[in-house]
Order: sequence, then structure tokens, then C-alpha cells
Amino acid sequence: MLKNFFKFFFCLFFITHIYAQTILIKNGTIFDGENNDPFVGNILIEGEFISRVSSATLQGDFVIDATGMIITPGLIATDTDIGIVEIGALSVTRDDSSELYKIGFSIFDAFNPNSTLIPWNRSNGITSAITLPQNTSSPIGGLGSFFVLDGNLEVSGKKDMVMIGEVGGDYNASRSETFAIMEDLLIFAKSINQKDLSSNKDIKEIIDESSIAESMELHPRDVKALYEIVNGNIPIIIKANRASDILKLIKMKNQYDINLVIMGAQEAHLISDVISENQVPLIINPINNIPDSFDELASNIKMAKLLEEAGVDLTFNVSRSHNYHLIRQGAGVAVANGMSYSGAIKSITSNPAKFFDIEKRGELKVGNYADIIIWDADPLEPSSMPEVIFINGRDTDLTTRSTRLRDRYTKEPSKPSTYRN
Amino acid sequence: MFLFFFIIDYIIGVSMAKLKYIISFCFFLNLSLINIIESKPFESTYKPLPSVNVLIKNGNIYDGEGNEFFQTDLLIQDRKIVAIGKDLPVSEDFQIIDAAGKWVTPGIIDIHSHMGVYPAPGVSTSSDGNEATSPVTADVWAEHSMWVQDPQYALALRGGVTAFHVLPGSANLIGGRGVTVKNLQRNTINSMKFPNAPHSLKMACGENPKRVYGNRNQAPSTRMGNAAGYRKSWIKAESYLRKQTEYKEKSDEAKELEYAPERDLEMDTLAGVLKGEILVHNHCYRADEMATMIDIAKEFNYKITAFHHGVEAYKIADLMADNGICGALWADWWGFKHEAYDMVQANIAIVDQARNGTGCAIVHSDDAIGIQHLNQEASKALSAGIRAGFKISKARAMKWITSNPAKAAGIYDQTGSLVIGKNADVVIWSKNPFSVYALAEKVFIDGGLAFDKKSNYFPSSDFDVGIISPNKNRIEE
Repeated sequence: MLKNFFKFFFCLFFITHIYAQTILIKNGTIFDGENNDPFVGNILIEGEFISRVSSATLQGDFVIDATGMIITPGLIATDTDIGIVEIGALSVTRDDSSELYKIGFSIFDAFNPNSTLIPWNRSNGITSAITLPQNTSSPIGGLGSFFVLDGNLEVSGKKDMVMIGEVGGDYNASRSETFAIMEDLLIFAKSINQKDLSSNKDIKEIIDESSIAESMELHPRDVKALYEIVNGNIPIIIKANRASDILKLIKMKNQYDINLVIMGAQEAHLISDVISENQVPLIINPINNIPDSFDELASNIKMAKLLEEAGVDLTFNVSRSHNYHLIRQGAGVAVANGMSYSGAIKSITSNPAKFFDIEKRGELKVGNYADIIIWDADPLEPSSMPEVIFINGRDTDLTTRSTRLRDRYTKEPSKPSTYRN
Repeated sequence: MFLFFFIIDYIIGVSMAKLKYIISFCFFLNLSLINIIESKPFESTYKPLPSVNVLIKNGNIYDGEGNEFFQTDLLIQDRKIVAIGKDLPVSEDFQIIDAAGKWVTPGIIDIHSHMGVYPAPGVSTSSDGNEATSPVTADVWAEHSMWVQDPQYALALRGGVTAFHVLPGSANLIGGRGVTVKNLQRNTINSMKFPNAPHSLKMACGENPKRVYGNRNQAPSTRMGNAAGYRKSWIKAESYLRKQTEYKEKSDEAKELEYAPERDLEMDTLAGVLKGEILVHNHCYRADEMATMIDIAKEFNYKITAFHHGVEAYKIADLMADNGICGALWADWWGFKHEAYDMVQANIAIVDQARNGTGCAIVHSDDAIGIQHLNQEASKALSAGIRAGFKISKARAMKWITSNPAKAAGIYDQTGSLVIGKNADVVIWSKNPFSVYALAEKVFIDGGLAFDKKSNYFPSSDFDVGIISPNKNRIEE
């Protein structure tokens, strides 16, 4: 391992300085995010992309020997506030809620590439993320965006690529009202023609004619976002836990032809066949077995296993914000409780890319962006860490504010702490 | 009591001659009343499960004292650990468990839990962890809030947890008494209480108290307000204790002439700390505040047993070691508050290694999910320590979730390590417990089998019964 480390160090020095050359990651044990079984092979990086993946011998300008090490795609966060919340309890650092817009609220322009959460999660394996706002006062509303966690001030990603919603939770009125509002909004959305969206004046007319839009005081932004949902252009993640709520959402998916993803889904395993038949992907926390509300009484540590067996596609959220990387530990716990190892790896790499149509990421295959992690040991062991991370073909510095503080208090003890590095 | 006797006096209209006799009788009763109080109400009525004499054969053992033994036997007899060694001979009436390839550890202990006081489901009607009506509520006891039917205990048991310490929340400067319980769900709290475990006192620094009370435009609204609040309370407690002690030390004759000082529940608790009977568990994140709390403890001559959460403990790890204060910490929680911003994953290892390895590090959960995976949390903390350049063995890291929390809870003489004569609180793991894939297979509490994965033997709370489907319990395998 140490020998490898020095090789990396040597190579990375050059990689950083001579970017245009090809990089070969040699002899690693590759979980590509697609195949169930890993294979020992080589990955060639050319520019931003993967140009070859092969068990045959390849040549590269710079070579990283990954013998005995596990290689995976970069992990993808799907339910996070990375980039829009710096400190949870400090509202001045939060950019995840809107006072005005109920449906078309976008967090894209609030994203802070300098957030300390980015290097921290990246150094733990998260290379890209779907950042979501808080739920609004509308049962469906609020737009999430996809971000590449390269930390560049010039943000790259995909704006407003998903909407969110919620049933149950802390909502005070009946969930029946929640469903009624959702349906009214979807019916309203279905009635909109694309040509009506060309001017805000036209949109205001539509709003005035719609009882639900008028009573909810929707804005043109909200209406445009709704249109995207029923025309299948963007998926909608709805938080729901109770089995009966999930069934109702599936009926709505079929009736209104929406691209539904269910999040939370703590009772999903009670109706796993229906979810599987209707091909509804889930975002679950495989480590959460607490019956934390009366909506999630069936909460069970075997949930991931039971859903996988029924053929339901999964991705994970464990800790929404600062430690999103704990999806690795969650995936490990899922495996300990019966999920397949390859299924768990897919759940944090290729599945999120598929659910949310994130192009050219989530799998190690030719033509994809080179988002690649070389691990020091099994990535599902929370004690493991990445040794090398590529994002868009560039090696990434693994330093974090946390490692800096650690070094400050473990090195140079002779100096006063404030004069240390 | 006095009032009662005076009323009786009045009613029966006793003669003055008899009065002296009655008053002395009254004092006699009163003294015995004090004795009753000092014999402590709410005593543990814990009864262990039926025990078996067991030979756990050929397992790999972390003993919780920093040692590891490969392919070694562990003998449990009459609820105690009686031997550790190779090829231990036993008589025929011993049950033999083949633990080849498996790992054996002491029962896991969580020093920071809110199970029972914040039970599941998390609804307002059973949210009983913070008496946030006054910044000092030393009079409240967590055990009087604990819901014995919380479904979370059994989940923690599956994670190998055999005992846990439940604290009031952190809204208050002084939040009340904590309690240590056996992880054996029973239908009264006294029957779960860990016999002879001391009470604790929950104190809290920083953002929480100043936010809760500052928002109501009352003290404390600042950190200096926090510090003043603790000190004012300790001054009162000193005075209370002095009066109690002075009275106690009076002659019997002198006692006949005056009433015993009136009891005060709040002061009873604080005086208990000053007498060294109640252990201080102090929620505190920032290094500078922890240092201030150490000074306050010195000013009033009490000991802080542990700082809890201590995200910045690594900045003052030596100071904590010098003062014999444990750090009860998370492996990686951060960022939810400003005072939790400076997280380093090696925090636990740095506290452990302070002053040539004399530091006391504890991995705590503060979380009903985390408590089920404390072994994994320890694994993260250990690997971060190794990455920081420390040489720490897994056997040593096992102390962070066994003997060190036992010490901080004041139950180390009874449990926390696999040492001859201690309670047989033992976990058998499917794999090395520092792996995420390890599951607890059997959990013994006082030599009684409390959880057995293979035979699907585990407790269910009343809450779990028939709640989703009448014929089933909440979790059916």
C-alpha cells in the first residue's frame, strides 16, 4: 500500500502539471457500476473522459498501479443540501428555502462551490450531487439541481433537473388534502399548452382562470415548473413513508404520467411487488430502522434486502448534508443485513445516474466522464477512504479543512497553535 | 411531616406535659425520615434473566481492557465471568457455544442516550427529554420521563448494547439527573435501573441554553450568561450543603431544638455532586468553553466526569487528560451548529492518546440509530486515528465503547470488560466488530441470553405488538 502511495504521489505531481496526457490506472479491481462482478483491469483517462476500460494491457503516458485496490465510479448524492447550507442551525448560512415561490423555487444560483462540505464529502468519495431545497408550503414544489463537486467557481451541473414534494410528515391538515392539492396542481399543469408559457402575461391569465393556481397565489415561475413535471421532462421526488401513501402516489404516477421517485419509503417493503411492477425508484436510508413517526412503523433494517429481492431499484441517503458520504456505511449495513454487494455499489453509483438521467456518470465505461475513485480498502467499510479521486479526468486534492485542523493539533507542538500551519 | 404532627397535636389538644414527649417522638420520626430519603427512593428492582452456565469456545476476544486473545475460551458461571483461557474444562451441565471464527466482546455501553425520554415515534406526547421551562432544573430526573415501552431499546440490544446512560436534554444549563439502565426492557423503570449505579448530572454549555432562554429574553442569552448561571447555582448548592452538614453534625439535643433545614430537590442534586456522589456529564462543544467549565469545577471543588459531544476536544486533549475528564464524542458528526464546525475525525484518537495515552476516550451515540452501530463508529474513529499517525490497536479502541463508558457511568466495578468476577455482559459477533459486516449474534446480560439472532429470540415492546397488523409484531423476521 505504501509503495502504491509513493507511486501515486509521483504520478500526481506530473499529472497536475502536464494535463493533456493520458493516464492509465492499471490492474485495479474494478466495480464499474454496471456489471455485478468486479474484474481486474485497466482504465485509460484521456482529457475529461474514460477512453478505454479493458482487462487487456493498455498504455498510458502516466501510470497508476492500483494492484489489489478497489476502483469504483465516483459516488453520487441524491438528497443533499451540499452547497446551499453551511451550518445547519445558522439561518444566515442557509439558502434552501423560499418565501415567495412555492413550486418553481430554484436553488441553483445559491450554490457555493467554496463550501467546506464539498472537499469533505469529496475526499470521502462523493464526486457529484443533486442538491435539494427544503419542502415548500406546497405539497409539490421546489427544484433541485445537479452539481459536479469539483469546487470550481464556474459551476458545472444541470439546473432545475428535479422537483420535490412531500406527503405526511409535519403537515397539519389531512393527507387527503395533500393528495387533493397535488392532483389539482397536476390537472392544472396538464391543461397548460406550451405556447401559453411564452409570456408572463399569458401565464397570469392561466393562473387567474385556475382556482388552485389562484388560491395558492402561484407565480409564472411556479407554472413553468409544473409544466415540466407533467410533460415528463423532469422527475419528481416525493417524500412519503406510509405504505398506503406510497400506493396512492403510484396511482397518481400512472394517472398523470409523472416521472416519480419516492424518498423515505420506510414502509416500502410491505408493498415491494407493486413498487417493482410500476418501476418506481426509491431513495431510502438503509440504516434507519427507527419507527420515528406513525407513518413509518414498519421501519426495518432489512428494508434494502427485501426491496432488492423484489426487484426495486434503490439509491441511498443517510445523512443529508455534512456527511453525505455515510451512504457508504449505510450501503455496508445494507449488505450486512442481506443486500448484495454489487447491488449496494450500484445504489450509490449508477442507480442515481439512471433515476435522474445524469449523463455520462455513475459507471466506469468508455465515453463517460472520468469520475473515478481508487480506494485504500473496501469502500463499504466506513473505515476505508479514497486514495485517489478523479473528477472529470482531473486528480483532486484530498485536503479538507478537517484534515488541516487535525494536522494543526497533531504537528508542530512547539509552536503556539495559532502560529502553526 | 411537621405540619402533620402539629395538626394532630391541635386536634387531640394534648397537654403541655405530653408535648415534649411528642416532639421528641416527632424528631425521632423525622430523623428516620431523613434516613429513608438518604436510602434513596426509586431504587433498582432489577432482576436478571434466567441465566445459563456457558462456555464460549474458541472465540477471538477483545476483553475491553485493551487486550486481544485469539481462539480462546470464555466461561460464564452464576452470571459472572469466571475464566478466560485456552481449552477450559467444564462439567457436562455447561452449555457450549462454538465461537470459532467469531469475536467476543464485553457488552457495548452507550454513555449518551435519550432513548426513553425521546422515544419512538418522536411525537410531542412522549417528547420528555428537556424540561425547558427554567435554565436550572437540577430537580428533574430523566428516569421519571423514561417510557419503558420505547421500541428503540430492543434495536440497540441487537447492536450489542447491554447498558446505557440516559440524560436529560441540553436546553438547560443544568438539566437534571441522568440514569444508567440495563438494556432489558421491563414494564417499570426501577426494574431496568442498573443496581448501584450512581446518578449523573447533565449540564450544558454553549448555543443551546443561550438560544432557548435568550429567545425568551431571559438569562442566559450569552455564553457569559451561561457561566454566571452555573456559578450562581453552585454558590446556592454550597450554602445548602453547608446548612445540611451543620445540622447533621449537631448533637441530638441541639437537633431537638430546631427543625432540620428544608429539603430542596434541586439542591439535593447539586449537593450530591459536591459530595462526589453524582457524576457530572457536561455537554460542551467548544474547547474554550470546556476550559472555562474546568475552572468552574475547580472553583466549586467538583469533578467533571465527561465532556459530551466535545467536537473541539482535540484542541484541549492534554488539559482533559490532566484533569481526568473523559471525552464522550462522535466519530464524525459536524456542521449542524456553529460550535460543531471544527470537526476532525481523529478527535477520539487524539483524546485517547493525550498525555502518553492516559486520555479517556468514549464513542457515544446521542442517537437511536448510532447506538445500534457503536462498533462501526469506533471503527471510523480508529481508522482516522491511524491516518493521523497514531499507533492504536483495535483492542484498545474497543475500550472506547466498553470499559471507558463503564467508568464514566460509575459501573466499571460491575461491567465494561471481560474480567473475572465481573457481570457476564457479553456479545458474540459474527465477524470482527470493527467491520461494517459484523452483526451481534448473541447478547448476554448478567449471564442471561437477551438476544439470539439464530433462533430469532429478542424482546418486543408493548408498542410493537399488533400495531401494523393485529396478528403480528411490528418487526417480524
